[in-house]
Amino acid sequence: MWVGIAVGALVVLAFIALSVMAGGPKDALYMVRYALPHMHRGNLKIGDSAPDARLIALNGTDRFHIRERTGGKPLVLVFGSFT
Amino acid sequence: MQIFNDYKDHADFLTVYIREAHPTDEWQMKSNLKEDVCYAQPTTLAQRLAIGNDFTKRFKFPLPFGVDEMSNAANDAYAAWPERLYIVDESGRIAYRGGMGPFHYNTKEVRTWLAARYGEVKHPEEKKDQKPADNPAEKPAEKSEPPKSGAPAKS
Repeated sequence: MWVGIAVGALVVLAFIALSVMAGGPKDALYMVRYALPHMHRGNLKIGDSAPDARLIALNGTDRFHIRERTGGKPLVLVFGSFT
Repeated sequence: MQIFNDYKDHADFLTVYIREAHPTDEWQMKSNLKEDVCYAQPTTLAQRLAIGNDFTKRFKFPLPFGVDEMSNAANDAYAAWPERLYIVDESGRIAYRGGMGPFHYNTKEVRTWLAARYGEVKHPEEKKDQKPADNPAEKPAEKSEPPKSGAPAKS
């Protein structure tokens, strides 16, 4: 029984900590739902060949590959979104 | 982006627009409302392109820009969501891998990598605000030593 209470208390404490970190209980839930599955994702390491992917230019018609932009100088890749 | 202005002659930059981090139909943040950045998660390429265009126009964004396909191929290949930085060297290999944003999205590490290779570009106004040490809570990203050979360092 005490183990159950301790585990429950830990879960509650973890949730409170996550809420503080995320900005509120709702954000903590969203963090668990949307962000946690992405943590520790990806296994690219320094020295690995950079993966290629096809991208679309903002005009919606031109396509190009990340690899086309490598080879001349170092390439800084900035991944992100608007929100 | 100051790093782009400082190092665009030495390095290429490419912004890759990936799936939204905080769309209205998923995990919307209060800050999105305050900043009037409210978009649903795009379900079509046209919607994704429209947001990309809004973004570049709103901020007069100067970096070269590409949009991930709806298959999220670039996002998956680089584990990029919600935001992440990489440097690919001239041989096409990963030279720097930043951590998962926003907590481990660290442009200073990119600047450090570029500065080690091409020399530091100082900005007097940055010096005033500079903290004595980086946030210790931030996990150090995996990075390689930039080769000292190559372009001569600026003094």
